[in-house]
Amino acid sequence: MKRRTFVGAAAAGLPAFSILGAGSARAQVKEIRMIEAGGKSGESVEVGYIEPFTKKTGIKVIRESPNPLGKLRALVESGQTSTVLMELGSGGMLQARNLKLIEPIDWAAVAPQPMFPEAKHEYGFGYQYFSTIMAWRAGAKAPKTWADFFNTKDFPGKRCLPDYPNYAISFALLATGITPDKLFPLDVDTAFKKLTEIKKDIAVWWKAGAQAPQLMKDNEVQYAICWSGRVVGDPAFGVNFAGGMADLSYFTIVKNSKAEDRAAAYKLMHEMSIAANQAKAATVVSYTGPSPELDALLPKDKLAEYPTSKQNKAVQWVENAEWWAANGEAVNKKWEAFKLSL
Amino acid sequence: MRGQGFGFIAPLLVLMFVAFNAPIVYMLGLAFWEKGRGFTLQHYEGLLDAPVYLRVLGNTMRVALVATLANVVIGYPLALWMRGLSNRGRMIALSLVVLPFWVSILVRTYAWIVVLGNGGLVNRALQWSGLTDAPVSFLYNELGVTIGMANVLLPFLVLPLFAAMIRIDDRLLQAAASLGAPPRTIFWKVFFPLTLPALAAGTLLVFILCLGFYVTPAILGGGRVPMISNLLDTLINQIPRWETAAAISTILLIVTLLIFAAYRRLDRKASA
Repeated sequence: MKRRTFVGAAAAGLPAFSILGAGSARAQVKEIRMIEAGGKSGESVEVGYIEPFTKKTGIKVIRESPNPLGKLRALVESGQTSTVLMELGSGGMLQARNLKLIEPIDWAAVAPQPMFPEAKHEYGFGYQYFSTIMAWRAGAKAPKTWADFFNTKDFPGKRCLPDYPNYAISFALLATGITPDKLFPLDVDTAFKKLTEIKKDIAVWWKAGAQAPQLMKDNEVQYAICWSGRVVGDPAFGVNFAGGMADLSYFTIVKNSKAEDRAAAYKLMHEMSIAANQAKAATVVSYTGPSPELDALLPKDKLAEYPTSKQNKAVQWVENAEWWAANGEAVNKKWEAFKLSL
Repeated sequence: MRGQGFGFIAPLLVLMFVAFNAPIVYMLGLAFWEKGRGFTLQHYEGLLDAPVYLRVLGNTMRVALVATLANVVIGYPLALWMRGLSNRGRMIALSLVVLPFWVSILVRTYAWIVVLGNGGLVNRALQWSGLTDAPVSFLYNELGVTIGMANVLLPFLVLPLFAAMIRIDDRLLQAAASLGAPPRTIFWKVFFPLTLPALAAGTLLVFILCLGFYVTPAILGGGRVPMISNLLDTLINQIPRWETAAAISTILLIVTLLIFAAYRRLDRKASA
C-alpha cells in the first residue's frame, strides 16, 4: 500500500520525468533474462545464440539455472515480470500451457529460417534435440535392441535407469516387442510388469544426468539409459541410438512478461533458427538445433554422435508429450507405488 | 521492567515472521484453499484415495527410526569413551567428530561410494582376503541410506550427549562405588539416568532431521528408497502440484509436532 502511494505521488509530481523514463525503456531494452537448463547446455546457448544476438542488437542476456517447472509457477504466481524466456522440456511445456504459465509465440515476429515441424510449436521454440539412448561400459556385451537391454540373462550386468517414468515405462514397453509407432497410448501395467521382472538387476535409478555415466565408469553398473550428450564420443562407453527417444527442449515465453522484452526474445529466437549458429552451439554440447540443413555444417566424423543427423534421426522415435501432459500425474502415483515395491 | 528489550528484538521477530512463519502459513493454506472456490478438503481426500503418498511417509518414518537407532548405538558409546579421555584426548576426539561439519554433505555422501561401492575399498579388501567372491551390496538400498544418514547426523547426537556427560560429577559415581555398587549398577542406576535427558533430546533432534533428508537417500539409496522429501521435490518442481505437496507437508508437520509433544511429556515426567 505504502509503496503504491509513494509511486503514485511521484508519478503525479513528476509527470514529465516518468513519461521520459517509460519512453526510453520501451525504445531500448538493455537486457533480458532467461531461465535455462544450465551446465554445458547453457554454455552452448551462450556461444551459439546469445553472442551473435548481443553483437547485433547490443542487448545482454542474463542466464539463470536450473529450470524446474515449479520455478516458473512461482515466478508467474508471484507476479514477476522480469524473466521473459523459460526453457522447458516437451512435457513441461505442455504442463505449463495447461496451467496457463506461458503464452503463445508470435512466429511472425520470430520469422525463423527453415526448421523441423515439431520444433515450431505454438507455445515453444524447439531449440535443442536430445536423445535418450542405451549405453554400456566399454567391454560389456553390446545390446542391439531394447529386448537385449532388458535381457539380464544373456547380457549380464547391473542396470541404471532414469528415475523418471516417461523414460523407464516407454523403453520397458519397447522391450516387450511393441513397435514405436504403436507405443502410445502407453500400456502402463505391462511396462511395470517388465520392470518388475528385472528390478533386482537395476542397481540405481538416476535423477541427475551425470549419475549414470559416472556409475558406469566406476563399474558400479554396466548398462544404463542415458541422455546422449553425456555418453557419445567417450571411449569409456558404447552407445546405440536404435529405438532411442528423440525429444526437444523448448524456449517458451513467460506469462505477463513485458512486451519490449518479448520483442527482444523473438530476435534471439531468430538467431536460434540459423543453421550456422546451431553448428556453433553443437561444438559445445552434442545436442543439435532444429534446422534440416544442419548436417552439412557439422564435422563429418562426428555425425554419428548427434540426435538429428540423418542416420540417427531415422532409427529413433519422438516423445509423445501430449500423452504425458494428460496422464503424467496419474502415472506418477503408480510410479511411486512401484518404487515402494523395490 | 518486563518487555523492556522488546524494541531490540522486534526487527528480528518481524524478519522471522515475514521470511519464515508467513511463508509456512501460506504453504499450509495452499492445501485448504482452491482459487475461486474457497475452503476445500479435496487435497486431503486425494491423499486418502491414493494412499501411496502416505505409504512413502510411513517408509520415511521407518528409515528415520532405523537411522536414529543406529546413531544412538554408535553415538552413546562414543560420547562415553570421549568422557574418559584426558583433556588433550578430548580435544582431538571432539575435533574429529566436528570435522565432517566442514565438509559439504554432498562430498561426504559421495565419499561413501568410494568406500562402500562395488569397486570400493571395503569390497576390494573383502574379495582380496577371500571372505567374499562377489561384491557385497552396501549401497543403493536402505543399508546405504542408514549408513550415510548416521554418518552425517552423528555430531548432532554426540555433541549434546558429550556436553551432558562431562557435567556429571565424578564424586556421584565414587559415592556409589564406595557404597559397594558394581560398575554395571553404577552405570545403569546413576550414570545413564543422568544422561537420559540429553540422550532423549539428541535422539529427537536426529530423528526430526532424518525426516527431511534429501541428498543422502537420493544418492546412496540409488532411487530405491523413497523418502518424503524426494517425493515433495517431484510434486513441487516437476508436476508442479503444490496443493498436494502442501497437504503432505501439513501431515508431516503434525506428525513431527505429535512426536515432539510426546517427548515433552516424557521429559516432564522424568524430571518431576
